Amino acid sequence: MSTDPSGGGPALRFDLDRPWRVHDRVAVRPEPFGALLYHFGTRRLSFLKNATVLAVVRSLAEHPTARSACVAAGVPPAALPAYERALATLAESQMITERAAS
Amino acid sequence: MTQQAVIEATPAQPTLTGDEPADRPSDEALVADELLVEEVSIDGMCGVY
Repeated sequence: MSTDPSGGGPALRFDLDRPWRVHDRVAVRPEPFGALLYHFGTRRLSFLKNATVLAVVRSLAEHPTARSACVAAGVPPAALPAYERALATLAESQMITERAAS
Repeated sequence: MTQQAVIEATPAQPTLTGDEPADRPSDEALVADELLVEEVSIDGMCGVY
């Protein structure tokens, strides 16, 4: 499934059913509100606003798809679109990157 | 004297006022939908480097 660009948000392409990982040049720092990501290449910061999205991002590399990372982190089906959009935002800013399927 | 730049590692949050109802189920969906990720760039900030 890909993000629908007609939904009013940014026109992002993100495939929940592909394997993803945190970019090599991104540092993840847990914070009380979730986490802070810093990309040493783009010098951008991203705030993850809760512990669940942090768990998803941190576990991306351990799962065959982003969808399975979401499910393992306890994301309910109804919330998957929101997490898909969040991951699409992170992909757009190169905080996460698609990896080769294993 | 050394000056240090400090970045407050706290994202912007909406201010709650006393006249808002306590339970607004739609708010939860709105928060989940829009506030999972917030992005900023530190390019151009003085004193960061």
